[in-house]
Amino acid sequence: MRRNGPFAIGFMALFALFMLAPIIVVLGVSVTPTGYLEFPPSGLSLRWFRAILDNPDFIDAAINSLKLGVVSATLATLVAVPAAMAIDRRRFHGREALLAFFMSPLMVPTVVLGIAFLRFLTLIGFNGTFSGLAVCHAIIVTPFVLRLVLASLSGLDRAVEKAAVALGASDWTVFRRITMPSILSGIIGGWVLAFITSFDEVTVTIFIVNPSTTTLPVRLFSHIAQTTDPLVASVSAVAILFTVAVMLLVDRIYGLDRLLIGEGAK
Amino acid sequence: MAFLELNALTKRFGPVTAVDRISFNVEQGSFVSLLGPSGCGKTTTLQMIAGFENVTSGKITLNGRDLAGVPARHRGLGIVFQSYALFMHMTTAENVSFGLEMRGVPGAERKIRVARALDLVHLSHLSDRYPRTMSGGQRQRVALARALVIEPELLLLDEPLSNLDAKLREEMQLELRRIQREAGVTTLMVTHDQAEALALSDRVVVLEKGQVQQEAAPFDVYETPHTAFVSSFIGKSNTLPATLVSGDASGSIVECAGVRLQAGATPLAAGPVQIAIRPERIEVVDDGAVLTGKVSERVFLGNQWLLTVATPVGNLLVLRRNAGRSEADIGDTVGLAFRRVDLRILASSEAAA
Ligand SMILES: Nc1ncnc2c1ncn2[C@@H]1O[C@H](COP(=O)(O)OP(=O)(O)OP(=O)(O)O)[C@@H](O)[C@H]1O
Ligand SMILES: [Mg+2]
Repeated sequence: MRRNGPFAIGFMALFALFMLAPIIVVLGVSVTPTGYLEFPPSGLSLRWFRAILDNPDFIDAAINSLKLGVVSATLATLVAVPAAMAIDRRRFHGREALLAFFMSPLMVPTVVLGIAFLRFLTLIGFNGTFSGLAVCHAIIVTPFVLRLVLASLSGLDRAVEKAAVALGASDWTVFRRITMPSILSGIIGGWVLAFITSFDEVTVTIFIVNPSTTTLPVRLFSHIAQTTDPLVASVSAVAILFTVAVMLLVDRIYGLDRLLIGEGAK
Repeated sequence: MAFLELNALTKRFGPVTAVDRISFNVEQGSFVSLLGPSGCGKTTTLQMIAGFENVTSGKITLNGRDLAGVPARHRGLGIVFQSYALFMHMTTAENVSFGLEMRGVPGAERKIRVARALDLVHLSHLSDRYPRTMSGGQRQRVALARALVIEPELLLLDEPLSNLDAKLREEMQLELRRIQREAGVTTLMVTHDQAEALALSDRVVVLEKGQVQQEAAPFDVYETPHTAFVSSFIGKSNTLPATLVSGDASGSIVECAGVRLQAGATPLAAGPVQIAIRPERIEVVDDGAVLTGKVSERVFLGNQWLLTVATPVGNLLVLRRNAGRSEADIGDTVGLAFRRVDLRILASSEAAA
């Protein structure tokens, strides 16, 4: 392998700095002892972390976001896997249309989606409910799962499934024992991507939440609209640390490379 | 009644006839090759036997049982795919065990049979390895063991050796034949490699454009090709257009580019024909030459020399054993001779091939 030159190393360092800078700023601001946003912080204090505990609505919002992410990502996966199987395997009329239909949430501007969901949910009396929110999020994140599952399906040698059939496996057994394990990294990757997308969705969500179902990003957004204290920074810092912890856990259990890049050594 | 019988088997993909009224038999315990160039319908035929492709018309009978309507998973055939199609998330032993699990074979017996199958393909030491960590030849053996462990009535091989490099391919040819004999399994192999087909099979079925051209033992396919296509596809051959002047059971006379030549016997009537002669059947002689010509190219192949000689009837390939002496060089004039039975007469309707 060719060694990287000084220019390439400089470029990568700049890139990493650019990616990390906002995170560093947030972490810095979160430990400030002052009552306003300050960077670099003039001291070290956990004041604004303690303040989170005095604002239980932030904790409720975070729990809501977590639940919403899990439920909508799971819903999306349950829909996307069979859909991907059909789109990849069968040559039926309207196959392209079906694919376009499932991918359409990516095409429509999110503001428009938000208004549409609001109108629709109000119409059927589900506005502000958790289930209404979960279904809307599932619709938004389905394209992500579908795309990843389709990609891993197209990389799968069809002869492998035929081999299993020839050995006497039924369709369901083939799916459970052969196809599923082969596309598992796509499914898990899709789920994680869907979860993350749902977790930080604001534009659509802001239209269809009510105070009891509000999510963390929406809560942060409205907090900023009213005041500018470092509470938003400490809440963000907790979210960042939580994400890092989850990533480390996933890496230990499954391997991040395998998840994000697919394939890889077993 | 033969063990496997294909009867006027036909497959059409829309306007394309991929397989056109193919009929041939495979005897129990024998090794038969389906040989033909790319796109001639070999894989399609195999897939129809395996049950993965619908039959347009015709009939497949296995051991007296009509396979029409029998789904692939109930046919109980062993199949080795060109890509091997191993289960990448399973170890060697798990791959081989899969078919037995599907048959509900109890665990203890499964273990014994997996061990026996791996032993047969000399792979016992790799039973806990994943396919990713194995070489092409080793994967090939896993695929064979997986297909054989279910003790199939029929083993189907689709270009099983084409993914291996030349040296390994030769090795695996011998291995494949040994394994097939030891397992005693009736085998149908698809290949476009004529050398492989000749080396491995009891019988060869030559296919062209979805039709059977000839079905015979390897020696007979080579020695008495029925058509110009078979003659040129199997081994090397000089094929020239000619006119049959007269002929009977003892021999015949042909005229080729104005030169009269004595040729082998033919049932054909006088008229336009093709004549064919193998490069290794042409001798370079000092006296008694049938044709003389000038060497226009010379290639050294190690054990042999390949000469191209420009003669009055056209360019002829001549293969000479390397006897350690130097060979006629480019520009030399040489005399050529051959036995009249080695000059074969083929119907000219195949000339298009
Ligand atoms: N699903 C299909 N739809 C349309 N045409 C097909 C299909 N499958 C095969 N064909 C056509 O049928 C013919 C025979 O194909 P087949 O795969 O049997 O060839 P083959 O002898 O196995 O060739 P190769 O040596 O390249 O594998 C080809 O002309 C091919 O284009
Ligand atoms: Mg083929």
